[in-house]
Amino acid sequence: MFINLSLKYPRTVILLTIIITIFLSLQFPKIKIDTDPENMLAKDEPIRVFHNQVKKEFGINEMIVLGILREDGIFHRDTLKKIKEITDSIKHIKGVIADDILSLSVTNNVIASGGTLRVRPPLYKVPDTNVEVESLKKEILDNPLFKDRLVSSDGKGAAIYIPIESKDIAHEVAQEIRKILEPLKGKEKFYMAGLPLAEDTFGAEMFKQMAIVAPLAGGFLMLILLIIFRRIMLVLPAMIVAMLSVMWTMGAMIGLGFTVHIMSSMIPVFLMPIAVCDSVHVLSDFYEHYKGKDRVGVIRNVFRSLFRPMFYTSLTTAVGFANLAWAKIPPVRVFGLFVAFGVLAAWLLSVTFLPAFLSILKEKRLKGLEQVKSRSRVLSVLSDISISKSRVVVIVGALLFVVAIYGVTTLRVNDNPVKWFKKSHPIRVADTVLNRIIGGTYISYLIFEGSAPEDIKRPEVVKYMDDLQRYLHSHHLVGKTTSIADVVKRINYVLHNQDASYERVPESKQLIGQYLFLFLMSSKPDELDNLVDYDYKKANLWVQLRSGDNRDMTEVVRSVENYVKENPLPKGISIKWSGLPYLNIVWQKLMVSGMLKATIGSYWVVFILLIVLFRSFWWAVIAILPLSFSIIFSYGLIGFAGKDYDMPIAVCSTLTLGLGIDFAIHFCQRFRAHYKETGNLNETMQWVTKGEPTVAIARNAIVVGLGFLPLVLATLTPYVTVGLFFGSLALFAGITTIFFLPALIETFKGKLIKGGY
Amino acid sequence: MKGYLISRPMLRIVKAVCLIIMLSGFVAIAYAQEGREIMKKSERAFLYAGKDFKVRVTMKLISSSGKTRLRELTMLRKNSGASGGEQKYFIYFHRPADVKGMTFMVYKYPDRDDDRWLFIPALNMVRRVAAQDRASSFVGSDFTYEDISGRDIDEDRHELLREDNLNGEECFVVKSTPVNADMPYSYRLSWISKKNYLPLKIEYYDLSGILYKVFTADEIKDIDGFPTVVKRTMKNLQSGHRTEVTFRDVQYNVNLKERIFSERYLRRPPREYIK
Repeated sequence: MFINLSLKYPRTVILLTIIITIFLSLQFPKIKIDTDPENMLAKDEPIRVFHNQVKKEFGINEMIVLGILREDGIFHRDTLKKIKEITDSIKHIKGVIADDILSLSVTNNVIASGGTLRVRPPLYKVPDTNVEVESLKKEILDNPLFKDRLVSSDGKGAAIYIPIESKDIAHEVAQEIRKILEPLKGKEKFYMAGLPLAEDTFGAEMFKQMAIVAPLAGGFLMLILLIIFRRIMLVLPAMIVAMLSVMWTMGAMIGLGFTVHIMSSMIPVFLMPIAVCDSVHVLSDFYEHYKGKDRVGVIRNVFRSLFRPMFYTSLTTAVGFANLAWAKIPPVRVFGLFVAFGVLAAWLLSVTFLPAFLSILKEKRLKGLEQVKSRSRVLSVLSDISISKSRVVVIVGALLFVVAIYGVTTLRVNDNPVKWFKKSHPIRVADTVLNRIIGGTYISYLIFEGSAPEDIKRPEVVKYMDDLQRYLHSHHLVGKTTSIADVVKRINYVLHNQDASYERVPESKQLIGQYLFLFLMSSKPDELDNLVDYDYKKANLWVQLRSGDNRDMTEVVRSVENYVKENPLPKGISIKWSGLPYLNIVWQKLMVSGMLKATIGSYWVVFILLIVLFRSFWWAVIAILPLSFSIIFSYGLIGFAGKDYDMPIAVCSTLTLGLGIDFAIHFCQRFRAHYKETGNLNETMQWVTKGEPTVAIARNAIVVGLGFLPLVLATLTPYVTVGLFFGSLALFAGITTIFFLPALIETFKGKLIKGGY
Repeated sequence: MKGYLISRPMLRIVKAVCLIIMLSGFVAIAYAQEGREIMKKSERAFLYAGKDFKVRVTMKLISSSGKTRLRELTMLRKNSGASGGEQKYFIYFHRPADVKGMTFMVYKYPDRDDDRWLFIPALNMVRRVAAQDRASSFVGSDFTYEDISGRDIDEDRHELLREDNLNGEECFVVKSTPVNADMPYSYRLSWISKKNYLPLKIEYYDLSGILYKVFTADEIKDIDGFPTVVKRTMKNLQSGHRTEVTFRDVQYNVNLKERIFSERYLRRPPREYIK
């Protein structure tokens, strides 16, 4: 019906297509962008709620860490002056929470000099003489409140912790800070790091990357098609179909008011190769059959044999993606539904616009096409081996499958947003440098909660924190911890004339209360806010990690669990983790399991759909096998390569369905159709494996496999990963379809043919 | 007419202009003098009322999210001379419970840094506390030491900006700009009541000229003939933090003895004034 109409009124069909495209393109200006990876979780997800509650209660905010490095040490008057100036300027940046900045020039220290107690920042003024510089150095470097936190223990680096109002302004604030630093460059080097910065910068760069990579991928796709078909007029319709389905999908998504999130920003890159598939099949067959005469008849014939497999593949792919709508991860839902939409749009365009376009092409554009006949020697050799040695091939395939499964079991789930940047990216560089010199840019919070106000001042509670801190410091990943215990110990030590034996938590609650009061008497009202809450019911132990790998954070969490098991918490006290690194491990768990569930769900839906379409259980099994193979192979490869199973890979897993299944459906459907027509099994096998179907499949595998290659050029590693993964997936799916399917069908033909075909 | 550089009517205009400029100069000086005058009177009414003074203070420290911390203290103050001269403060903490018995003493000098002492009862130890920064917080509140005990009148340039009506009360609005640029604010605007010279509102503008702190006198009572701000609030607009102060049992001219302001009494607070 579609084909006849399109061939009858080609111009009307093309005009309609243009009108729809214009309408949907007009939606683009409404675009809303969301770059926060945290939004992968629903807003009411318990961990997000707790995270926000902790942030509010303790006045904790996401931090950017600014490192100042000088090879011969920061304890020089000019550098100290710069630190003070930078701190003062940063206070005035919009979005920076000025009162909570931690820096040598604003964070209070307690010292005693000549019997007088002083509470003031070490760098309250820039020292005038070298003697003063020396005494400042001494004051800081033997002080646990500052060492490894605000100054590196070798004195070569200083850090400023810059709290910001929300994570999504991190990139902007960092730009402002850069402006402040620009004129101050000298012997000092400046670095900026921190998870919020990494996550926000990733968001900002993501869209830039998409703007570069998507057209690049499109161009590359076109180039491959050109090499295969050598006719711009044959490549053009395929490209238009791909482009239009992307525009329709994005237009519909934006028009319906959905924000474009990290996942949906990938839609163009994913949809293009998938969308081009149907056209490649059509063009491939047209290319083989066109003899320069009766073009409409040839088109009709091509579609007669392709309409069904095209519909089947598009339907299964769309249903597979649409099934993601059940996932618990909101952006995955949106993504699934709209990719499904895009796949159906591509199908619709392939059966309307494509024949219409082909039918009105000028004859001279197709000149010379009638002599072309593609028969690949490689393909026919492969097919011969597969059929004649079918048992061996099946057994080898099964063995490889087992090996791949072993590879899958070695997969290590791990992620670190900072590693989403390539090693040479400034964020990665800063991360490496800063985590070498200070106690870690990954700041987690261990919350101690009492059952009544004032509970935190109990000596056994403060003591417990102190002991736990000592234990944590023995852990190689923990660079620095800070808590109210440090403040108490410091004051105890200072009041007892710097006697080292008093660098401990005192035994009396009153004394602890009076120490803290003493500290607060000379400080800003919110000076201790990020360590203890207002009524001393909760305390906050800062744990700074040198690594942002979720695996490492998980390890620290586990070791605290063990510690608590062996050393029971004081009565009435409970602990809980918070902070971005912790949020990320919870997030990862939800993402990985969520994606996995969604994928497995889709997998079954596709399988059931195949049974319905083929009306045969065994054909469905055969058709889904190449997909299963390629998924397991691709993941096995990742496992063997030692690459972490991270967010981008998890996202990929949901997309495997769209690619792997198409080839096998084409293969099986055309096999069955041809067999039904001819009734000759051997002839059918020869035709399918050496004729148009396999040629088209091989072309598609190459187009899709190489089509993702430009992603490798992206500066963000997730795109690189996705590119490599999909490239290999498409190639694997192509190879298994071309090489293993014939052997499988040959081996199990008894079961398959029993029911008629 | 020839021979004159400027015509006669022209000359008259020039003279008039000169006069206006000179006059406005005088006016400016007068305004400055007037501004200083007003602030001086305000200092006397607000910070130096009576020979001495005793009060029970409740301080409510309120965070931006509405959480509160309570401080309760008795404050004794004795003036040594005229308004603007030396003062001695004795502070005894009643609450929070774990700091009960902590005492704090300040000798305030107009021309040099304060002397401050603190008694830590749990250690039975008196310590001198450094006072390098009078703009630092007073016992962890949003008030600074200066807000409590004032600053020397000539540390600022005072300028009467205008007269204003604040909540039905006639006020002078005085702009005070620190002479030395070592303060966390660039200037402050004070609304001084024409009736009793108490500050009804003070706005603090930070170094980039943005309003960041506001003082308000919320309730004024006449006690022993001295108009007294018995309720006041200092609000930090940047952090959202604020401190509310309430005065109870205010007494003027109680004849505080000089010897109370000593280390001995820090350890053993005077029973007759502090219950």
